[in-house]
Amino acid sequence: MSDIQTPPCVGIIANPVSARDIRRIIANASNLQTSERVSILLRVLTTLAASGVERVLMMPDKGGISAMLLRSLKRERSQNHQFPELEFVDMSVTSTVNDTFFAARSMQQAGVNAIIVLGGDGTHRAVVRELMLGTQAGKKAVPIAGLSTGTNNAFPEMREPTITALAVGLYATQRLKGTQALAQNKVLEVSIDQGQRRDIAIVDAIISRDRFIGARAIWKTDNLEAAYLTFADPQVIGLSAIGGLLEPVGRTETGGLTISISDDPGRCKFRLKAPIAPGMIADIGIAGFERMPAGQPFSVALEAGVIALDGEREMPFDTHEQVSITLHENAFQTIDVTRCMQVAAREGLYIHQPSRLS
Amino acid sequence: MQVQNPFPLSRDELLTVYRQMRTIREFEERLHIDFGRGDIPGFVHLYAGEEATAAGIMHHLNDGDRIASTHRGHGHCIAKGVDVVGMMKEIYGKKGGSCNGKGGSMHIADLSRGMMGANGILGAGGPLICGAALAAKYRNKGEVGICFFGDGASNQGTILESMNLAGVWNLPVIFVVENNGYAESTSRDYGTAVDSYVDRAAGFGLPGVTVDGTDFFAVHEAAGAVIKRAREGGGPSLLECKMVRYFGHFEGDAQTYRAPGELDDIRANHNCLKILGDQLTAAGIISQSELTKIDEEVMVLIEHSVKEAKAAPFPTLADLTTDVYINY
Amino acid sequence: MARKISMKQAVNEALDQAMAADPTVICMGEDIVGGAGGNGEMDAWGGVLGVTKGLYAKHPKQMMDTPLSESAYIGAAIGAAACGMRPVAELMFIDFMGVCFDQIFNQAAKFKYMFGGKAETPVVIRCMVGAGFRAAAQHSQMLTPLFAHIPGLKVVCPSNAYDTKGLLIQSIRDNDPVIFCEHKNLYAHECEVPEASYTIPFGEANIVREGKHCTIVTYGLMVHRSLDAAAVLAKEGVEVEIVDLRTLSPLDMDTVLESVTKTGRLVCVDEASPRCNIATDISAQVCMHAFGALKAQIEMVTPPHTPVPFSPVLEDMYIPSAAQIATAVRKTIKGSK
Ligand SMILES: Cc1ncc(C[n+]2csc(CCOP(=O)(O)OP(=O)(O)O)c2C)c(N)n1
Ligand SMILES: [Mg+2]
Repeated sequence: MSDIQTPPCVGIIANPVSARDIRRIIANASNLQTSERVSILLRVLTTLAASGVERVLMMPDKGGISAMLLRSLKRERSQNHQFPELEFVDMSVTSTVNDTFFAARSMQQAGVNAIIVLGGDGTHRAVVRELMLGTQAGKKAVPIAGLSTGTNNAFPEMREPTITALAVGLYATQRLKGTQALAQNKVLEVSIDQGQRRDIAIVDAIISRDRFIGARAIWKTDNLEAAYLTFADPQVIGLSAIGGLLEPVGRTETGGLTISISDDPGRCKFRLKAPIAPGMIADIGIAGFERMPAGQPFSVALEAGVIALDGEREMPFDTHEQVSITLHENAFQTIDVTRCMQVAAREGLYIHQPSRLS
Repeated sequence: MQVQNPFPLSRDELLTVYRQMRTIREFEERLHIDFGRGDIPGFVHLYAGEEATAAGIMHHLNDGDRIASTHRGHGHCIAKGVDVVGMMKEIYGKKGGSCNGKGGSMHIADLSRGMMGANGILGAGGPLICGAALAAKYRNKGEVGICFFGDGASNQGTILESMNLAGVWNLPVIFVVENNGYAESTSRDYGTAVDSYVDRAAGFGLPGVTVDGTDFFAVHEAAGAVIKRAREGGGPSLLECKMVRYFGHFEGDAQTYRAPGELDDIRANHNCLKILGDQLTAAGIISQSELTKIDEEVMVLIEHSVKEAKAAPFPTLADLTTDVYINY
Repeated sequence: MARKISMKQAVNEALDQAMAADPTVICMGEDIVGGAGGNGEMDAWGGVLGVTKGLYAKHPKQMMDTPLSESAYIGAAIGAAACGMRPVAELMFIDFMGVCFDQIFNQAAKFKYMFGGKAETPVVIRCMVGAGFRAAAQHSQMLTPLFAHIPGLKVVCPSNAYDTKGLLIQSIRDNDPVIFCEHKNLYAHECEVPEASYTIPFGEANIVREGKHCTIVTYGLMVHRSLDAAAVLAKEGVEVEIVDLRTLSPLDMDTVLESVTKTGRLVCVDEASPRCNIATDISAQVCMHAFGALKAQIEMVTPPHTPVPFSPVLEDMYIPSAAQIATAVRKTIKGSK
């Protein structure tokens, strides 16, 4: 396939500050330590090398990951362990989400075959947002493969990173075609005042009557107004679990879901218990829900509040502002690890003759 | 039209917080000028740029809650309610200063306010606050202890030992890392092997949270959660506030260790006072003219404190040997 | 004529020459290079007061910044010394010794003896001492007696640039642990210093002024206060002899006793707190070994028994002055038998 770069190159974006938010205080949410993130990266890198990926382009950071990774690589290489050539994106680190945007843009520009993302829903959202902008501007779409850095996420699946890296390796080295390896995903487009301000969510957009951003992570349920979901899985954690337990919607199924939330006895039709954060089972008043067909804008009834995108309060809006939310299908691609590995097994991609052992 | 207050603090509280942060800023800006003029003796470490953290945490505290401060303590003092005139006199080495001129900038304390002292020894506050929290636990009134320390001081054994002790005794302590990226001239990236304080806390079984220390509301919310937890018997935790330092490590530091443009960026994009002011005015509940009025009142207060400090008498020979012991 | 350099430059030059001569000499401390891990200038500080500035460029492998962990790196310097290195660890202010004291007085000081003579610990711990900087109670102390008290440690406190260079090179070459005390108010003080490397042996006091009427025994900044007092007294016809101890452990009692035998009078001047300090130690030894030579009771000039105050006026009253020293000398003359 001509759209694959040779030699194969994979991007890695590892967010050093994901899973450090207030949920660790209020709900004992787990935290993946920096040293553990670096161990994951080392496993991913050796697996990519074993898969024939020769180059890796990585986002630098000042949160300790790249520094520790370099230290570890030095130790590993001195023991003759094999790694791809590792290059950092040439950028000045701001330790904000802008780093993720910049790195994703540079990687798309550089023509990487896929990007491995290490982080939570928020990190994945940032990468997707930037890649979609690039695709709209005519650049080639780049699929992502997510690695979860906690149990607090809905988007990246929990899986041993070695397997994810194997699947990425199969695609990046062209042993699997896009039609075999990739899955299509939905997004929610949030637009304020006809696109004056725009953003996306890959799992959920939550409307809260709070009007400040504060500690970012959304965790209080008393001010919730509505939820808009791309998919709703009864087995995942987070605010999208409300939908999951009400009306499950698959990741690849058509359409999304919207839910009105209210404690007001006049509006509340019934109550629902849902795991909205790890260890946090909240009692939510449901005023109604409906499926969201793709391409149809839904306007937000609340006058003023804040929109949380994939778990983080991001966009405050005011009384004079008009908010609408639209679901889009086939918005971006992910590496479908389950399918990749099944095809690999069925087609015997890992079987080889002893002579071919190097 | 009646504008609804979108914030978790009342309008009056918000005005108080803004005033407090502005007071810290002006206090430090003024010291910067007066030190440059040679009016102020000794070592002065300024808190400017870091105000949102002190204010966001201290808003949850009462006089019965204790804090252990650092060498960079003026902001903690002001936010904890220490008298500004007394502080200024102290920094000028005058009688009637917070410590009667005996401590100076690095040792301002007001035990009646629960301010257990700025400290010249890095990491010394950790064990002390464990003691304060132990006492609070005995009194059983839900009081807490807050230990402030910098990214540099986080590497002191005392801090790590204190986290362990607080965990073992389930003390109502919050370890607050004021991470401004530098310890003197050394970058945080050099001095810490694993650069996450939340990870460190986890090593002792303490939950931790990292927030943007330049956003008052972020600090306020996270501090509220950890302090509530401690008051209710939930034990110790760690709060990392990422922040910026406006001035040199101490007055007289040329800061050549910073990247070109770094300071301009800090002042333009990470000014916590401007961030708060913008949030308040954008929400429409407080007008720019109200804020300007506070700014002016604060200027008057600071000017007054400097005048008082300059006019105050110096201590005398008789003061030299007092207060070494209770009796001797 | 030889060139003049400051005490600060003398420290820098001694370290420079010692590192050049011996690759096992390594320097470590907080910000002794400065700017580590950042995006700005490397070697940005060269120590808080710029004493080690420029050494990183010349000896990049021998100059190490440390995390803010005194117990760890002072202890590591001691451990490395016991394993063949000659570390010079900088502790900024002697006041911070409290943080890492165990490593110094239970470890470094005792290895040789405890291990039956088998260990050598050639470590130097450099630190600033003394008041006068408006740095308040935790950054101004003269804790020399605390270290002189401990068997196994050597304690050096020079009063000028010449002695500083010679004694620092000697400290680095010496095979015992040395606490090297640099008075922060003497850094700018200049005198003639040879360019070549040289050493001054430990345990040799220096008579900085000869006189026949009264002996002043002192060290560090107080040498200069004593010289000021001597100038005033000379106008009154009193000729004072000043003994600069230079090293407090070992202590050159021979020179002290010789001088006291000659003058018959003794004033001990010490910037350390008055109880159990170098002055009390000298007086006790003089009483034991030269009681018969004394024509008057011994006088001592020290600060009061208080922490160092912050307020400049209080601090100036705290530090022993030339006037106090002169008064003490006059007392010995008047009170003579
Ligand atoms: C025990 C001890 N060691 C060293 C020092 C000298 N010192 C004072 S402040 C400082 C840097 C502190 O950095 P950090 O903890 O990050 O606080 P910041 O100055 O950035 O607020 C150092 C090394 C000291 N005061 N105490
Ligand atoms: Mg710092």
